[in-house]
Amino acid sequence: MPKLHPTAIAFCLWLAVMMPPAIGQVANDPCSSCHRDLSSVLPKDHPHTQATASGLSGCLTCHSSGQRGEAVSNPFSSRLHLVHVGEKKAPDCTSCHVVIPGKQFGLIGQNISWDAPKSDDLAAMNDIAVSWATSSFTDHLHAKASVDCAGCHGKSVPRLDDTVENQRCLTCHGPIEKLAEKTQNPDFPKRNPHASHLGSDIACTVCHHAHQASVVYCNNCHRQWTMKIPGAAD
Amino acid sequence: MVDKADKDISRRKLLKTATIGSIAIGGATALNMAAPGTAHAIVRQLPTTWDETWDVIVIGSGFAGLSAAAEANGAGAKTVMLEKMPTYGGNSIINGGVFAAWDDKWHYREKLNLGTDSPEQHFGDFLRGGDYYNIPELAKTVAFGAVDALNWVVDDGGAEIRPTVTRAGGHTAYRTHAAKSGSGREYTEALRKICAKAGIAPTLNSEVSWIWRADADPKSPVLGVEVKRGRRVLNLKAEKGLVLASGGFARNVEMRMAHFPLLTDEYNCTNQPGATGEIHKYAQAVGADTLQMNFIQLYPFAEPETGLLDAMAVYPFNGPGYGILYVTKEGKRFVNELERRDVCAFAQIKLGKSAKPTFSIFSDAMVVPMGGDPEEVQQGLKNGRFVTANTIAELADKAKIPAATLVDTVNKHNQYLKDGKDPEFNKPITKAMISLDKGPYYAVAQWPAVHFCMGGLRINAKTEVIDVFGSPIPKLYAAGEVTGGIHGSNRLGSNSIPTCIVYGRIAGRAAAARNA
Repeated sequence: MPKLHPTAIAFCLWLAVMMPPAIGQVANDPCSSCHRDLSSVLPKDHPHTQATASGLSGCLTCHSSGQRGEAVSNPFSSRLHLVHVGEKKAPDCTSCHVVIPGKQFGLIGQNISWDAPKSDDLAAMNDIAVSWATSSFTDHLHAKASVDCAGCHGKSVPRLDDTVENQRCLTCHGPIEKLAEKTQNPDFPKRNPHASHLGSDIACTVCHHAHQASVVYCNNCHRQWTMKIPGAAD
Repeated sequence: MVDKADKDISRRKLLKTATIGSIAIGGATALNMAAPGTAHAIVRQLPTTWDETWDVIVIGSGFAGLSAAAEANGAGAKTVMLEKMPTYGGNSIINGGVFAAWDDKWHYREKLNLGTDSPEQHFGDFLRGGDYYNIPELAKTVAFGAVDALNWVVDDGGAEIRPTVTRAGGHTAYRTHAAKSGSGREYTEALRKICAKAGIAPTLNSEVSWIWRADADPKSPVLGVEVKRGRRVLNLKAEKGLVLASGGFARNVEMRMAHFPLLTDEYNCTNQPGATGEIHKYAQAVGADTLQMNFIQLYPFAEPETGLLDAMAVYPFNGPGYGILYVTKEGKRFVNELERRDVCAFAQIKLGKSAKPTFSIFSDAMVVPMGGDPEEVQQGLKNGRFVTANTIAELADKAKIPAATLVDTVNKHNQYLKDGKDPEFNKPITKAMISLDKGPYYAVAQWPAVHFCMGGLRINAKTEVIDVFGSPIPKLYAAGEVTGGIHGSNRLGSNSIPTCIVYGRIAGRAAAARNA
């Protein structure tokens, strides 16, 4: 994660001192513009804190923004996205994010830019974020386990033509032998999607699509087999 | 009707006009052979910038594409191998793994006393099997290059073959080799290893959606391709050459029916879902000629319900040289088992839809000689593809064939083997054929499924794609099932793998050697 620049911190402090906002509001902060009392929306089991008084920067003193690129579950950002993104929730990314197509993708009030996605990347991200938060596909299965974009796509903001390499999936789901064991067919040992005649290095994404319905690729030819896959079409 | 010459002239005029038009606006319009208003590309402009620049672009990652990419990258040309599907290998990775070559490094035919053979004899079978519609030079290159191609995948790629050769339908010699793993994956994996040594791997999920060429002047080269990758559309430049190795179009029902109306969607297909032929059309749209597009082969012995050509569906094909019998579900023979695929397929189709399925009958003694594998037979029994019994009558019961008829058919055929003569279907009897007089016996159900496109893009023996006026299109090469004219009206089984490898290598080398 890009470290907060000392100047930015100084600037925030300066803002806090020089321009005290209305009660409960922190100037130039994505959270407090909607949540006048940020402490009231903390989870019940959240330790008592005064940090909410300074808005999102208060949170970030303990929580990583989740953009380090490591494959972890339950990062702060995924929980934030899950409660905010969805058909009936926050209208778009810019409620919280500073978005300048091709130049910046950051957080309101924070001197952070994760990447410089272009407008078509941003449009796709918006759709995908909604899918991640609400769909019946693999992305939402990950959302429920608090795995967000970075959990699968790594450090930079995902691009239109991004894909996820097997190693990334196997960090949590691997090794492949374990998966093969799980999907073994006792009657027909060769009928195993994780150890098939297409090779064990076949891309996970052949069947497991994150942002659309997953499909059992085997069934393209082996039409008579019944095989189930998580995140399939409803 | 417009006279052919007139048509050619008007076409030329049209192309010329297009060229002049493009010059007028700065040479930026892409060639488009489609009628105005009917094609999405009619107003297309050539790319002004390229997202990627390569020496050689190969489309496809089957036998031909892998071979071309290995040769091109290995020769130092910066190469990309584009595969539109999410998996590599196309039809090649699921094919039956049978490889015709007149000899091999172990000399199995000679050692097993299975008669003589030569590249000339193989070449002769190519032509006879294709009813002499083949372009002889194209077939000859394969017949004479097959052994070298086999040795390449064995020596450099580690492919393994079973220790026998079979005499397959339409071949006059025992020259068909079977992959150890029972499928084409044996060779695609070997080729992938050879590619890895040459520093290249397939780039998956990359679907070519146009071929760029400025005009149809015989000196005008292809420039590159448009590629859909994920949600992006990219333009890739090919400095030295573009190799089309995109396979056939058997899975495109509309396209196959346009050339062979009988092949409706009622027929199953042995192919992978990506065999849809759009590259043929993009090549045609930049001037490429095609030939013999109506010659489309059915595999006579596919799994009847799905059309799969699984390992078990290869047994009927490999069996005739060792005495396998094809019978109807009434228990009667219907064809000379040593006949070509087209004859065997249409002999079944002529019986009518209600005759589905027919059966191959073989015995334990035939399994290993015909390139089978006892363990594979056990799998076939387990998954219900094979049924077995110790007597022909019991076998008939299990396969729901009238027992008395099947016993009679088998007895008669056993007598034909003794007599050295088949008065019913005139099958040439050989000493290698095994009498069905000792069990256990096996039966496997079969039915024709659309399998292979003999026709395709017109090439010369250097794999240069030829335009509609007869000139090679500069920097455009093609190899494998996307090309036509090698097999004539009917490809003999096991001739495809050598064809793809031989021509894939030629194309890859030619593209790499070309000046940018």
